[in-house]
Amino acid sequence: MKKIIVSGLIVGCILFIVSYGGLFLAIRFIPSLFIEYNNPLFKSDGSRDVLFYLHAFIISFALSWFWDRFKGMFKGPFLIRGLEFGLVYSLIALLPVMWISFSSLDITVMMVVSWFVYGLLQAIVAGTIFAKINP
Amino acid sequence: MKSRYIFFSLLLNFLLRLTIYSQPYEKVTEIRKWLVTENSNLRVNGSTNINTFSCQIPAYNNIDTLLIYRFKNSNTLVLKGCISLSVQSFDCKNLIMTHDLRKTLKAEQYPQLHIYFLSLDKLPDLNSHPESILGLVDIEIAGVKRRFEVKYLIREDSPKSVDLLGSRDINFSDFHLIPPRKLGGMIKTNDKLSVDFHLRIITTN
Repeated sequence: MKKIIVSGLIVGCILFIVSYGGLFLAIRFIPSLFIEYNNPLFKSDGSRDVLFYLHAFIISFALSWFWDRFKGMFKGPFLIRGLEFGLVYSLIALLPVMWISFSSLDITVMMVVSWFVYGLLQAIVAGTIFAKINP
Repeated sequence: MKSRYIFFSLLLNFLLRLTIYSQPYEKVTEIRKWLVTENSNLRVNGSTNINTFSCQIPAYNNIDTLLIYRFKNSNTLVLKGCISLSVQSFDCKNLIMTHDLRKTLKAEQYPQLHIYFLSLDKLPDLNSHPESILGLVDIEIAGVKRRFEVKYLIREDSPKSVDLLGSRDINFSDFHLIPPRKLGGMIKTNDKLSVDFHLRIITTN
């Protein structure tokens, strides 16, 4: 349990920097991708900002538990294990959620694809670190 | 909140009358009456960190009167009059931007914004060439009133018809308003707004 929490915390901090740093840079350098976020689906009053920034830790603790439970199934060098872990998570969790989101919400293909890639990269980074610190 | 607004409106009205009528009557050398017509409009231009937006109240629904008082031994003219615009009439040509702007300006709580005209630094020589004049206005948005110096361009469009273009940069924060933001503030609307109003005026004397 301690290992799950500690590695979840470490990965949470790293994902926080990588995810929001990446988002910040993407908005700065390719702003046109984010024009579509002028959409009522996205809150504009800032009342849930804390929850938004906690996301890195929510996903890191969830993935930390998932890694600890199934790490024996991922074989090979740590980079391959991290990559496979990310792909498995994306296939099982992200793809169905993105599918239902696209089918039911007024969002574009580009938006859904960017969310999928964002989640996939997060899971690969998390998996690689888990493979290193909790092999 | 509404009663406070009424109270302050009455107080302002009273103070304005006091300002005008406290001058000895013989010191008022000229009174002009300008009618603000329905073809007037107001536009606000703003920006976010990813794009710009322009929202307009395309048509003014009322006919209002501006009174201009000229006093002896004073170049400054006192104005009396106000235009009230419906915040719900803002149109940004984008449903979401329109919705966000109305929400930011608290359209439900404060359905109207007001521009109170207070003074002009001189009486314009009305002709077809635009003349630049400064003046003071009070702008009231979301129940908060702030005084600004406004740059006007005034020109005579046709006899008895005057175009008055007023422009001024204001901030959301001047009116205690929080600009819209998304994705935890990563996409945010800049505080500064450029306000342009175009009044079509009929001079009656």
